Amino acid sequence: MGRSPALELLPGTLDMLILRALARGSMHGYGIAQILKQTSDDVLEVGESSLYPALQRLLLNGWVTAEWGASENNRRARYYTLTAAGRKQLAAERADFERMVAAIQRVLQTA
Amino acid sequence: MKLLRRLRYWLDNTRHAADLAEEMEFHRAMLTRDGAPPATLGNTTLAGEDARAVWIWPWLESLWQDAVYGLRAMRREPAFTATALAALACAIGVNTGLFTVFNAFALQSWTVRDPASVVTIHRFTRDGGGGFGIAEYRYLTQHSRSLAGLIAMSNGEEVKLGDRPLQLTYVSGNYFRLLGVGLERGRGFLDEEDNPADPQPVVVLSHDTWQNRFGGDPQIVGRVIRLDDVPFTVVGIAPEDFHGTNPLRNEVWAPLPAKLLLRPSDPASLAWLTNPDFCCTPIAGRLAPGVTRAAAEAEVSVLLHQFLAETRVVRDPFRIVMAGTSWIESPRKKRQVIPTLSILFLAVTLVLLLACANVGNLLLARAAARRREIAVRLALGGSRIRLIRQLLVESLLLALTAAAIAFPLGFVASKGLIRRLAGPAWYPLTPDLHVLAYTLAVAVVSCVAFGLAPALHGTSGGIAAALKADAPLGRTRLPLRSILLGVQVAISVVLLVGAGILVRGLARAQNIDPGFDFRNVTVLSVELPARQYTGPRTQVLTANLEAQLDRSPGLPSSALAQGAPLGNATFSTNFQLLTPRRSPMMQIWATQISPAYFDVLRIRFMEGHNFTADDTPPCLVVNQSAAKRWWPGESAVGKSVFAYRKVRQIVGVVADTYTHDLHTSDEPMLYLPITGAQGAPVVLVHDRNSAAVDRVAAMVKQIEPRAQIHAEPLSDNFDRQMEPNLIGAALAGFLGILALGIASVGMAGVFAYVVGRRTREIGVRMALGAESAQIIRLVLGSALRPLAFGLAVGLALSAAVSILLAGLLPGVKSSDPLAYLNVVFLLGLAVALASAVPARRATKVDPVRALRCE
Repeated sequence: MGRSPALELLPGTLDMLILRALARGSMHGYGIAQILKQTSDDVLEVGESSLYPALQRLLLNGWVTAEWGASENNRRARYYTLTAAGRKQLAAERADFERMVAAIQRVLQTA
Repeated sequence: MKLLRRLRYWLDNTRHAADLAEEMEFHRAMLTRDGAPPATLGNTTLAGEDARAVWIWPWLESLWQDAVYGLRAMRREPAFTATALAALACAIGVNTGLFTVFNAFALQSWTVRDPASVVTIHRFTRDGGGGFGIAEYRYLTQHSRSLAGLIAMSNGEEVKLGDRPLQLTYVSGNYFRLLGVGLERGRGFLDEEDNPADPQPVVVLSHDTWQNRFGGDPQIVGRVIRLDDVPFTVVGIAPEDFHGTNPLRNEVWAPLPAKLLLRPSDPASLAWLTNPDFCCTPIAGRLAPGVTRAAAEAEVSVLLHQFLAETRVVRDPFRIVMAGTSWIESPRKKRQVIPTLSILFLAVTLVLLLACANVGNLLLARAAARRREIAVRLALGGSRIRLIRQLLVESLLLALTAAAIAFPLGFVASKGLIRRLAGPAWYPLTPDLHVLAYTLAVAVVSCVAFGLAPALHGTSGGIAAALKADAPLGRTRLPLRSILLGVQVAISVVLLVGAGILVRGLARAQNIDPGFDFRNVTVLSVELPARQYTGPRTQVLTANLEAQLDRSPGLPSSALAQGAPLGNATFSTNFQLLTPRRSPMMQIWATQISPAYFDVLRIRFMEGHNFTADDTPPCLVVNQSAAKRWWPGESAVGKSVFAYRKVRQIVGVVADTYTHDLHTSDEPMLYLPITGAQGAPVVLVHDRNSAAVDRVAAMVKQIEPRAQIHAEPLSDNFDRQMEPNLIGAALAGFLGILALGIASVGMAGVFAYVVGRRTREIGVRMALGAESAQIIRLVLGSALRPLAFGLAVGLALSAAVSILLAGLLPGVKSSDPLAYLNVVFLLGLAVALASAVPARRATKVDPVRALRCE
C-alpha cells in the first residue's frame, strides 16, 4: 500500500514546532528535523532550506541559543537550546494555535 | 535586545557564516549516512543565503525606507536644511581640519618597512631628555643583541645648493637599509661611507628635491652637485612617500662623517663624531624578532653604563625609554604638545557642540510643525521606537551630508592653517582613512547629540492632544528650547572670551621685557663662502673684527656673538663644577660673546665684573639662575668651573634674560669669550639707524670682502617669538566669530519661532493698544532667561579655560576683565541683530488679520 506523501507545513507553524522539539532538550539541526519527521509519522519533512532560516530567526529573536558540541558520531554539531523567552513564546504560540485549530474544526463540522 | 543581537552578529559576521556552513554540511552528511537519496538534499547555497538573510534584510529594507523618506523631508524644507547643513558643515569642517593636521603630524608612523618594530630611543635625566653621542651609538650598534640594528640621525643643518638653502640631515650609513626604505634610484649609502677616518662626499636626495631642484633629471644619480660649494656625488633618490625621520623638512641626506667635509673648520665636527662624552643625536633601532621594548630598554641601559665605565665618562643618572616612531609617541613631544592640542580640540569640540545645540533647536521647531504627521503615524499604529528611529535616520542623513561637505572643507582649512604656521606643507596633508573615519565618527556623534533629544521629545505626549486642530504648544517644549539656546550662548561666550584673552594677551606679550634691549639693536649676520673658509680662518676673522670694533671710534657700540638672542640657534657645552668638589659632566646653555655684548644689549651686572678677551686664567660670566642653582646663598664670583674644554673662573653674574624663547628666563647659562671656531659670528649693533649700521657693515666688508652681510633688527627675533601667540589669537578669533555667527542664527530662529507662535497674542495686545516697544520687549523677554543663564555659565567656564590658556602662551593673563566685558558687549550686539527682523515682523502684525485667524 502506498504511503501518503509528506505535507507542506502550515505557514508560521515551523517555528513553533522547532520550539516544541527543543522543549525536550538541546539538539542539533539534523536532530530537530529527525524528531519532527519521527513524531509526525513521516508526515512532516523539514528541509535545510526552511529549517536553517527558521533557526536563525529564532536565534535573532532570542528564543534559542546555539552552542557547538560533539554529536553522537563524534562530529562537531551545533546544539540549540530553548531559552526562557523561547519557552514563553512556545506557550503563547501553542495556545493561539490550539484556539485556531479548534475554531477551524468547529467551522468544518458545523458548516 | 534584538538590535543588540543583530549588531553582535554583524560584528562577527565571518564566524557566523562559517558556523552556518559547517552545521549545514553536518546536516547533509547525516542525511547521506541515513541513506537519503541525493534528490532530497536541495540547494545548500541558497538555503544558507536564506538563513543569513534573516539577520539582515528586514532591517536594511526598513532603514532604506527611512532614508528615502528622510531625503524627501530634507528637500521639502530647503531653508531648514540649508541652515542646519551650513552650521554642521562648518563645525565638522573645523574638526576635520584640525584632525587632518594632527593626523599628518602626530599620528603617522615613519613610512618604513614594518614600522611597528622600529623604536625611537630616548635618554631621560633629571633635567629632561637628550640624545646620544655618536660614539655611544656605535657602541650600541656593536653590542646590542635585542636590537636588530640601530640608526643615528642628526637634526641637520642648512646648506646652500646654488643660492637657495637645502635642509641636510646626517644619517648613519645603514639608515635606508635598516629602515627598509627602498630607494627610487641609486645604490644609497655604503657602510664604509660611514667612517669618520675617511669621510665620503655622497648624498641621497629626497624625491621633492630631485623634482623641484633638478627638474627630475633622470641622469642625476652619479652626478656631482655642490652643497655649500663642496662637491658631493648623488648616490640615490628617496621614494616619494618617504619624508625622513625627524619633524624637519628633510631634503637631502649625507652620511654622518660628511660633517667633516661640510664643516671642516669646526673642531666640534670631529668631536661630535668621536668623543665619548658628546650627546644629543637622536637614534632609533629595529627590535630583533620577539624582543619586547622593555627588554631592549634594559639591555641598552646596561650597555650604556658599560660604555661610560669603559670610557670614564660621567653623566647624570639616566633612564632609557623606547617609543614608537609617530610624533605623538615621542615622550618629550608629548609633554610639549598635548596641552596645546587639548585646548585646540576642546575649542573645535565646543564649536561642534554649539552647532549641535543649534540644529537641535531647529529640529525641535520642525518637530513642532510635524506634530500632526507624527501623531497620525502614532495613531495608525506606528511604534514610538520606530518613529524615533525614523527621526534619527533623518538626523543622520543631515549629519552625513554635512560631513560630505565638511571633508574637503576641512582639508582646505588644514592646508591653509599649515601654510600659515609653517609655510608650504612638506608633509603630506592628504586626507586618509583615519581622517575619513574621524569625520564620520564626528558626524555620527553629532547626529545623536542634536537628533536624539528632539526625537524623544517630538514623539512624546498623547496622540489625542497632538491631533487636536490647533493644540497650544505643550508646556514642556519651551524648557528644552531654552536649554539649547542657553548652551549656544554659553559656548559662544567661552570661545569669545578665549579669543579675547588671547588677542589681549598678544598685545601684552608685545610688552614683555626680555631682559635686554631689543628695540634699538640691529643684527648683522655675516655669511662666508664655506669652501674657502676652512681651518682657523673664521677665528682670525673673529679676532680681527673684535679688535677693529674696539678700535674704531666713529662706530656705534657693537658686539660679536655666536648668535643673536631669541634667534633660532642655541648653543650648549659640557660643564662641570670643580669646587667644592667635582660634579658629573653636565650640559649647559652657553653662548660665546665679545665683552661689549652686555653693554650693547643693556644687560645688567648683578655682581662682579665683565671678562676681557684675553684673561688669564680664562674667565667667564654666568647668569643669575646659574649662580642660584649651584652656589645658593654664596657668591658665584671667584668659583672655578670646567667649561668649553678649559678650567675657567667666574668673574661676574648678570641678570637673567629670555634667550631662547619668551617662556623661560631662568635656565642656567654661561657667557664665554668668543673664539669664532664654530663659524662666523653675528655683529650686534646698538643702533637702528641704517647709515650707522652700514658703516659697521662696511668695516666688516673691509676685513673680509667675500662676506655677505645681512642686516635685520633684533626686534624681528622678538616678533617671530610672538608668532604662536599671533596664530593662537587668529585661530581663537576665527572660532569665536564662527561660534557667534552660528549662535546668532540660532537666536534669530528662536525669536522668529516665538513671533510665529504668538502672532495671535501679539495681535490681541496691539488691538488693545500696545506700543511697538512693548511688543519688542515681549519678544526679547521670551529669550531673556536662557540668555542670562547661558551668559552666566559661559563666563564661569571661561574663567576655567582662561587659566589653561595662561599657562600656554607668554603674556596671556587669566583674569582679564576687559576681555570679558567685550564679550558681553558683542553678545548684546548679536542678540539685538538676531532679534531685529523677528521683532520688526512682530510690530507689523495686523491685529485684524491676526484675530481673524481664530
